[in-house]
Amino acid sequence: MAVKFSVLGATFCYETFHVLEDISLTIPTGDFVGIIGPNGSGKSTLIKGLAATLAPRVGSILMDGQEFNKRSRRELAHHLAVVPQETTASFDFTVEEVVLMGRSPYLSGWQVESPEDLQAAAEAMRLTGTWDLRHRPVTHLSGGERQRVFIARALAQNTPVILLDEPTAHLDINHQVEVLNLLRRLNHQGVTVIIVFHDLNLAAQYCSQVILLHQGRVYACGSVEEIFTTDTIRTVYQTEVLVGHHPVTGVPQVTLLGKKTPPAEEQPRVHVIGGGGAAAPLLSRLVYLGYRVSAGVLNKGDTDWHLARLLGITMAEEDPFSPISKEAYRHNLSLIIKAGQVILPPIPFGSGNLLNLQVLVEAMGMGIKVSAVISSDIDLRDYTGGQAASLYNQLIENGMETFPDIQQLTFSLVPCTERSNY
Amino acid sequence: MNGPNWLVKLRLILPASLFCLAVALIAGIALGSVKLAPVTVGKILLTKLPLVGDQLVPHWPHHMETIIWQVRLPRVILATLVGATLAVAGTAFQGLLQNPLADPYTLGVSSGAAAAAAFTIVFGVSRTGAGLLVLPVAAFLGGLGTVILVYRIAISTGRLVIHTLILAGIIVGSFMSALLMFFIALAGDGVHQILAWLMGSLAFRGWGQVWMLVLLLALGLAIILTLSRDLNLLVFGEESAQQLGSNTEHTKKLLLLAATLMTGGAVAAAGTIGFVGLVVPHVMRLLVGPDHRVLVPASAIAGGLFLVLADTAARTVLAPVELPVGVVTATLGAPFFLFILISKRHPARS
Repeated sequence: MAVKFSVLGATFCYETFHVLEDISLTIPTGDFVGIIGPNGSGKSTLIKGLAATLAPRVGSILMDGQEFNKRSRRELAHHLAVVPQETTASFDFTVEEVVLMGRSPYLSGWQVESPEDLQAAAEAMRLTGTWDLRHRPVTHLSGGERQRVFIARALAQNTPVILLDEPTAHLDINHQVEVLNLLRRLNHQGVTVIIVFHDLNLAAQYCSQVILLHQGRVYACGSVEEIFTTDTIRTVYQTEVLVGHHPVTGVPQVTLLGKKTPPAEEQPRVHVIGGGGAAAPLLSRLVYLGYRVSAGVLNKGDTDWHLARLLGITMAEEDPFSPISKEAYRHNLSLIIKAGQVILPPIPFGSGNLLNLQVLVEAMGMGIKVSAVISSDIDLRDYTGGQAASLYNQLIENGMETFPDIQQLTFSLVPCTERSNY
Repeated sequence: MNGPNWLVKLRLILPASLFCLAVALIAGIALGSVKLAPVTVGKILLTKLPLVGDQLVPHWPHHMETIIWQVRLPRVILATLVGATLAVAGTAFQGLLQNPLADPYTLGVSSGAAAAAAFTIVFGVSRTGAGLLVLPVAAFLGGLGTVILVYRIAISTGRLVIHTLILAGIIVGSFMSALLMFFIALAGDGVHQILAWLMGSLAFRGWGQVWMLVLLLALGLAIILTLSRDLNLLVFGEESAQQLGSNTEHTKKLLLLAATLMTGGAVAAAGTIGFVGLVVPHVMRLLVGPDHRVLVPASAIAGGLFLVLADTAARTVLAPVELPVGVVTATLGAPFFLFILISKRHPARS
């Protein structure tokens, strides 16, 4: 696919303050690109760079293989239309007049708008649902209505590239969807669409490529599936999230857990022994409480493993329905040592996962604290003919603490500094 | 609908406003210490036209012709030109500075010109012969020089930033006002002369001034009308205008040049007449909308019309005493402006 934009080591500054540093990326022709990132990460600046409104201090930006400064403003306006984040106007132009301004790049000096220009403006107003507003002054519109007027102006410009800086910020959900569907339709007709998104789930829903900015740099750039992982989103946004999948469309969706992520070094660590699905409630609870959780050994594909992956938990894994191997055992032990404390949920034991109990004996020998939830009796979940139960009782003799349920257990753990927030 | 809105409006407004201006001109010529019948005024004016003129048999006393050709006609022409020039400059400044409260004097043209004019009066430049030219030329250069200084300050950051421009204008303007006060303090008997100049007067000072204004108005209108679409785009900010293909640096500089030359010319010809450049663009924007392709020509005609009426009132209301025209523009203009503002804001907007 042809390359529309190539950004080559571009640094953008306002006065002397570096907003974006050493940005390099390529945007293929015909892509639907989302720019995401926390406030102040430089999203709007990148849009301004791509719109040729702000020139990079260092590096360069090529459009269709040509540098911006080789083209006149007018020529650029034939290629790029920009929908600004917000607009202020000191004079009362009507909606129709504003949309018609989108034809400006095609008019010279004293030239009067042709019937084709009027046609293009009318079409743009119909597509954006602003036709009925056409005689109203833009200064008298609501934020959402005005946003659609500026989208109409960009459409009237009829360019192969549209850049939008948070176009849906002021819109109701129905208008958000309308506008984005309209952009998607244009995208299918070959228009390259580049949008700054505030709403991650909308970005996931519409984009074919996502650029994630963080502290003035490109943190990651790739497909929605590549970028939307719990770990990445949590690290960049410093917030506890759960990245699942949209039940209907299947695209990644971010669910907020309503908590800030404390800096990694402040998070107390804890390791959870897993298996089947018995560890799941404990895993989500601990992540929610702000612990840095690891888990193991989990069989790929089981319920605990799915959830742990969703939550971005580090884990020791084993192949589906396979007994725990030496490597997995050692990996598990190393995670336990790193965490310094282990929790044993009420999981069933068979010959395949007996090593998950064995590892605790070894860990306790190293002085690591082990706590167990005993909401169901060990004899009822021992499928090894007594081996598991005897290991279990040995652990209790060695001083494993036991708790009747998860709630009681979590209170006994190393307190999390962030607990007050929840 | 044939053509875009603004063109439809222009086709309606141009003939209507030109007709009003013509009526005002005839009224301005007819009224005065010697009253003339408007019909006679019309006939006398027509005698100068090449074809129609020969058909008319003069049946009026000769002195009427003298009054019209020597006194009244030059005066109403000067009033029209000064009014149009100030109104167009005001429209351009309001658009350029993206501020409906700007006027031709915002960047210090008036205070610079006034300081220079006061300087020539205080240092006793002769009031006869070539000396008569010294004051207007000094005023013109003073106004121009001030804006050049303001421009140099504003552009020192590398780009012409509108906010810096306004700020620099206010600061340099205050400095020039202080200079003016200083000259007034030194003036002694010259104080009256300075005050009279400050209040503005349309007393005819020769055809040279008229031709200079015609030239500046034509040049200014040509530049501003050519840039009027770019001026529209500026309303949503420079970035937005650039993204629509406008070379904003170029636009701003040319507009500043045109509007400053026009203002300087008007001030040199008639002193610092206030209110026209602020209110006429404002009222016309309420009446014809903000599109500069209609607003600029409409303001030009309305500015001329307004100043002809104001000057006629200045000559006749307290005759034989002549009021300073600046007093009339404000006393006539302020209530009218208020009326338009209130009647336009309340019921009509639905």
